[in-house]
Amino acid sequence: MRPRKILRIARWEVTKNAGGIDRKTAAVVAVTLLVLGGAAPLVVAQGGVTLDEGFYRVGVDEESPLYPVVESDSTFAAQDPDEELGSEIDLRIRATQVVASDSQKGQAALAELRSSVDSYNDRVMSAESNQSAAFPVTVTLEYAERNLTTTGGTDTLDGGTVNDGTPSDSGTPDDGGNDSDPADGDGSDGTIGDGSNGTTGDGPTGEESTGDGSAGGIGGIARSLTGSDATTGTPSDISPPFPFQSLILAFLFVIPLNFVIQAYGSTMLSERLNRRGELMLVAPVSRGDIIAGKTLPYFLGALFFEGLIAGGILYLQPDSGSGLYALAAVVPLILLFLSATFLGAMFARSFKELTFVTVSITVGLTTYAFVPAIFTDVTPIALISPLTIVVRDIQGVAIEPLSVLLSTLPPLFTAGLFFVLGAGLYREEDMFTQRPIPLKVLDSLAGRIHRRRSVALVVILLMPLVILAELVAVAAVYPISMGLPQPIWLGLILFSIVVIEELAKSLPIYAGFVHNRYDRSIRSALAVGALAGLGFFLAEKGLLLAQLLGGLPEVQQAAVVSAGPTAGIGPAVGLLLLLAPLALHVVTAATSAVGMRSGRQGYAIGLTAAIAIHFLYNFSVVMLVV
Amino acid sequence: MFDDVRIAIARRDIASLSREKTIVLALVIQIFIAAFSSFLVVGLTSLYDPGSVESGELTFGVSGDTRNELNEAAREAGVEIEQYPTRTAAMDAFQRGEVIGVLHADASSEQIEVTATVPDGSIQSTLAVVKARDVLEALERNERTNRAAHLETNPVPLPPEADASSYFGFTYTVLVPLLLFLPPFISGSITVDVLTEEIERGTLELLRVAPVSLTDIFDGKALGMAILAPIQALLWIALLSVNGITIDNVLLLVVLVAAVALLVVVLGAVLGLTLGQRRQAQLLYSIIALGLFGAAALLPEHPATVAAKLAVGSQTTVTTATVFGLSALAVGLYATTRRYVGTIDPERY
Repeated sequence: MRPRKILRIARWEVTKNAGGIDRKTAAVVAVTLLVLGGAAPLVVAQGGVTLDEGFYRVGVDEESPLYPVVESDSTFAAQDPDEELGSEIDLRIRATQVVASDSQKGQAALAELRSSVDSYNDRVMSAESNQSAAFPVTVTLEYAERNLTTTGGTDTLDGGTVNDGTPSDSGTPDDGGNDSDPADGDGSDGTIGDGSNGTTGDGPTGEESTGDGSAGGIGGIARSLTGSDATTGTPSDISPPFPFQSLILAFLFVIPLNFVIQAYGSTMLSERLNRRGELMLVAPVSRGDIIAGKTLPYFLGALFFEGLIAGGILYLQPDSGSGLYALAAVVPLILLFLSATFLGAMFARSFKELTFVTVSITVGLTTYAFVPAIFTDVTPIALISPLTIVVRDIQGVAIEPLSVLLSTLPPLFTAGLFFVLGAGLYREEDMFTQRPIPLKVLDSLAGRIHRRRSVALVVILLMPLVILAELVAVAAVYPISMGLPQPIWLGLILFSIVVIEELAKSLPIYAGFVHNRYDRSIRSALAVGALAGLGFFLAEKGLLLAQLLGGLPEVQQAAVVSAGPTAGIGPAVGLLLLLAPLALHVVTAATSAVGMRSGRQGYAIGLTAAIAIHFLYNFSVVMLVV
Repeated sequence: MFDDVRIAIARRDIASLSREKTIVLALVIQIFIAAFSSFLVVGLTSLYDPGSVESGELTFGVSGDTRNELNEAAREAGVEIEQYPTRTAAMDAFQRGEVIGVLHADASSEQIEVTATVPDGSIQSTLAVVKARDVLEALERNERTNRAAHLETNPVPLPPEADASSYFGFTYTVLVPLLLFLPPFISGSITVDVLTEEIERGTLELLRVAPVSLTDIFDGKALGMAILAPIQALLWIALLSVNGITIDNVLLLVVLVAAVALLVVVLGAVLGLTLGQRRQAQLLYSIIALGLFGAAALLPEHPATVAAKLAVGSQTTVTTATVFGLSALAVGLYATTRRYVGTIDPERY
């Protein structure tokens, strides 16, 4: 990598590539922004978008005391009470009698009416002269620390153990049912309906019960913005610690990235059309220089937008943090978006395919970045996403450098991996031909394989993907296998994990064989297999070490699906427990390596054998422990 | 004769989509999501309304002068409580983890002052706050009734409790519109792709050698993509029904999706043909499409609201009128664009 060449390529990318932004585009952009900018105040003046306007039809006579309630809530469409219940109206109100139609919708309408009545009463009461009679209860909400000792230890096994899927925080005695465990969610019924102010089910206009009530929701926002610990008000004022505003701000950070990757993906793919990238490939610059040069402008552009947003927030909200942490946390996110798009553009065979890939990246990464950040105030789980750091910085909460590392290193690693894999495809044979995807996968892996020991390195690099795939597999298997007896679903989960791990170990070796980097003797196959097994073992145990040293948040502990010996074991047994997985990984990787010498069918046989060995080992160990 | 040409072009584009297996993958993912959509809804709503997740036994510790009133209110709200003689005793129980939170109520001169203590920094604090709020609001209602003599207007009586799923509104107002409008958005995006790809690869010239006009090409490409979205929408509706979410007015919904798809496909085609390069066209397409979706709030009913009301069966004349208005607009714009495409000089590419 030579900075001067990178900078020159970056300059070309900005000024020359595809003509930059020509006058016509600029004009269309200007007109669009003008029109949209003109429409925005109108939309806001109209009260924004209310998706559930007139969603429930209520037949109500005008004398009813409930009539003003129905009138004031846009979710209801007021109609004649004589219309037919069920087909024409969902609720019929005569005087104070409310009758709901016999359907899910009728019941939902009734629940909505209940919460409307509550907020309507609060509104009416706030106009009363005798305020202490109107609001007879005042509440002070306090948050108190409590330290309950955790009892659940991590299960110990080679690569197969999965925590029981409960990312709950501390082992409180009564947390049996309130974790976010998918199991509970399905049995949805019961005590839900009692939410007297539950803004249950009224779509994005949930804030209306706060907006027009007596300044409700102050608790949550005040807490999220100031971090103060106590709030006082009427009962409807208190609300859970939901950092709503900060989340919207955090969302602002993600939006520009989606536009940047659109442009970035296009320019990367257009290099591959009509052999345009050929000229650059034959120039005396390295692949790394080209990729870095072409990526740099988009990276800086995205960083510029993020900087603008951070600056704007700091200007509007002086009590927030320095904004530096926020920017530092956004960098891995930008790199992750760009690297995923780069890899997608290298794999895509046409513009259409790139569009699908870009949409998937947008959806997937936005979910990854955004959803955990919702729990910012709640659990350490939130630290999976770098956006959490951004939100905390906006809130002005003190941030530990360790937690910054925890939430930025995994995406940085993954971004690095994607760039490395994509770089493996940045060559003539892959860019300008329509190679089948499986071959491209092998090509991308082979890009880093030069000698025997590099296979270990590639296996280590693949670790983030392995963990991700295992998490997805567990998440997918878990709900499916709910009704099955324990050995079967445990077996299913173990099986999917074993398949993923064996693929991760053997694919790089196979890529090496296909590209003739290794000769097909038994000796070389055994050596390469052993190296791959060693690499996997090192990566796995390295993660475990990080887990033990760093005190990772529990979800990441769950993500580190392998665990080694813990306390209470003698050194000899400990050594044995440490070495057994090493032996296992070496043996299984070597098995598939020996098989794949004779081509694809041999690979299939070897892989099956390796999976069988690995599965038997894991299953028996689990059965011994459980 | 000409129809054959156009259908051939449309068929070729769709076939290439399925050959690349990306659309197959997209459909598989779609089925996967739909299979879990009830699970998905639960997850999303619990973020948005944490109290709706069934929380098992959440016991509150109660202390102070007015704990009997609190007791009564908690019974109405369906929350378990445990009485303690003093606040210290209740706080001890809290620290030991026997109760999820503490409500300490003192009667001052005219009001009841409640101090609610909930655990800090855990997923339980959210649930505890929601439950505490339920109890305290019930308390507030009871106390208001007791003091009705001092009030000028009586509070409106609360309707009976409903046995409702709290996911109902969310499903129809957010999930259904989202699932219905995503396919048209992607269709428009792919229209940009199929046109700019022919232009950028230079294969448009080859297509021009065949006896087809640019208008035919536009017809074939646009129609191929505009047909995909309603089909996908139908698939969604079928999958949602399998999940127990009944959708009303399927025909009108499909018409709505088709109209929106045709509109954005025309937008994509115009941008693709005038700009000729994917990067610019795609960027502008997403900005304009999102902007238009926001600006649609100026209509009497937003298309997303229309979709929600149709799906749940609350449609009014305005709703149906919006569907037909959008369809007429889409067809009109399509015809206009067709004429415009006829005037483009193909040599410019």
